[in-house]
Amino acid sequence: MVRTRVRPVRPVRITVRMTLTMTKAQATVVRGGLAAMAIAGAAWWTTATMDAQAPARRAQPQAPRRAYAGPRTPDGKPDLNGIWQVMGTAHWDLEAHSPEDGVPGGRSVVEGGEIPYKPEALAKRKENYVNRATADPLSKCYLPGVPRVTYVPLPFEITQTPKYVSIAYEIAHARRIIYTDGSPHVEALEFWMGDSRGRWEGDTLVVDTNNFNDKTWFDKSGNYHSEELHVVERYTPMGRNHIDYQVRIEDPKVFTRPWNMRMIIYRRLEPGLQLLDYDCVSFFWKKMIK
Amino acid sequence: MNSPIARRIVKLAIAASMAAFASHPVLAQAQAPAGGAAAKRPAAATAKPRSAADARANPPWRPVTTYVPPRTPDGQPDIQGMYEPGYFNQPAETAVGGPWKPAAPKGGAQIGPTDFGARQAIDTDPTTPHVTPTNKPMVVDPPDGIVPMQPWVAAKRKEIYAKQEKPEFLDPRVRCLQSGVPRANTPVYYNSYQIMQKPGYVVIMYEWNHMTRIIPLDGRPHLDPKVRLPMGDSRGRWEGNTLVVDVTNFNDDSWVLGHGGIGEGQPAETATSGHGIVHSPELHVVERFTPIDKNIIRYEATIEDPKAFTRPFTIAFDAMVRGREDHQLFEYACHEGNRDGILMATGVDIDPSQK
Repeated sequence: MVRTRVRPVRPVRITVRMTLTMTKAQATVVRGGLAAMAIAGAAWWTTATMDAQAPARRAQPQAPRRAYAGPRTPDGKPDLNGIWQVMGTAHWDLEAHSPEDGVPGGRSVVEGGEIPYKPEALAKRKENYVNRATADPLSKCYLPGVPRVTYVPLPFEITQTPKYVSIAYEIAHARRIIYTDGSPHVEALEFWMGDSRGRWEGDTLVVDTNNFNDKTWFDKSGNYHSEELHVVERYTPMGRNHIDYQVRIEDPKVFTRPWNMRMIIYRRLEPGLQLLDYDCVSFFWKKMIK
Repeated sequence: MNSPIARRIVKLAIAASMAAFASHPVLAQAQAPAGGAAAKRPAAATAKPRSAADARANPPWRPVTTYVPPRTPDGQPDIQGMYEPGYFNQPAETAVGGPWKPAAPKGGAQIGPTDFGARQAIDTDPTTPHVTPTNKPMVVDPPDGIVPMQPWVAAKRKEIYAKQEKPEFLDPRVRCLQSGVPRANTPVYYNSYQIMQKPGYVVIMYEWNHMTRIIPLDGRPHLDPKVRLPMGDSRGRWEGNTLVVDVTNFNDDSWVLGHGGIGEGQPAETATSGHGIVHSPELHVVERFTPIDKNIIRYEATIEDPKAFTRPFTIAFDAMVRGREDHQLFEYACHEGNRDGILMATGVDIDPSQK
């Protein structure tokens, strides 16, 4: 793998700032949560690179204008190997939301701003919001589902071969093996992370995922789906270190029409970085057995 | 059983029952592969070391192979592909108490080959390679095959046996914690593997509990000792065609070996499985993955933990055998399916919405 020596600008700056604004004692107390805070900080710091609240401009997702000029794998595909992470607030709420205790405010990543719920489904989403502290599947250490696993505030690592793109996520040691060998979906099964089949459309990795259960959410605010969820993700490299990530969500049981979300995936550039296995289940048991 | 999906579904169903009965003695016994005479092993180019002089560099359990794997584009020996679990034996009997025989099942279903049809199907599938079962214990050093536990580890094991019904003494794997190393590589029926390689890394993916090990080969140092991880911190290198992985930075949530449980009333001294063998965070494991032919990966691990063991000890077995090319790792959502187990062990219903 080609390792770049570029300085990691944004994450480092955030960490320093967070530390400076705390007393030493406070810093000690929150050391364990520093990474999470840095990420939350990142949410505040991040200058939005797209304006999802401008529906007219963004009605049709478009591929970036410039062709990809970054490194390629031996079989000629853009080389996505490495560690990546989404910055932003989609994890807390896909839609525009005010800041509140523990939740950074954010703009919507949903094209058009709002998720087109059916009226009865919107009631369920509101109920989810009220009960979110305990009803969020992540609070039970369940697998996050797709696409939520992409934009939880923890990194993930891509391993790319001609036949597969495997993504290992730091959260809950979740994993997807995306088949890019033209093999068909499995039939009539239900998975937390779905069944992912990918193909390259030019330099865009298009991943079609179905066979979901109805137990995962899209974010911490209770946006949800049914087992009829069908997700199409488009990973379009904008250069070596950024991916334009567009997701089409289809679920006729819950939404009036398919809808899209869009965000940027950033390459983590810190030398020697590795995933550090946030094994939620082990924390769960430590609470259970004291 | 021709469709890979049908095979996987049967396997997953077995996995579910295995999780429920992981500590059942008869099941543990029934896990002995039914391969026997039907199992065929492709000719492995192995030979014993020729002289005592190189016994240290090439101990007798280590394969000497002339097999040369193909190379990846970046020049690594290419061991990528789908693998099924190979074969292992438990550590040897301990001297105390003599050999232990499991009691006959008290009513209930007869556990036998019929219930393990999927395994039998794999064992007798003429289209896939097989590993020859052996009668040697997995512990190859010390020569008596016994795990050299420190007294407190043996005592802890006794306690684990005596208080199995308490959640804190449950097999961590039954609680859906990650296996740790080397336990992750113990061949069990409800597991399979996919190995991928990218420049500078070997990635081992385990079906059981979707564990993934991303092993860097660039010689970087281990993590800061303050960082403790359930699967440890792996650093790999190729020695010839053998992948050598140095693993440190463990916590103490996992057990060292496994698999197989213990019987009701069985004295801890007579246990022959890895059940209940704990370790300290000082655990240090050096693994060797050697492709001895195009189908079989021989596994060796030297386990060092002066707090837990009186001396380093070494295990070795044929851990992985190449599976069908159309094999797929399915999602093994262990914790997500463990609501009833958690309820039973702790009295807490983590998901009342599941009726």
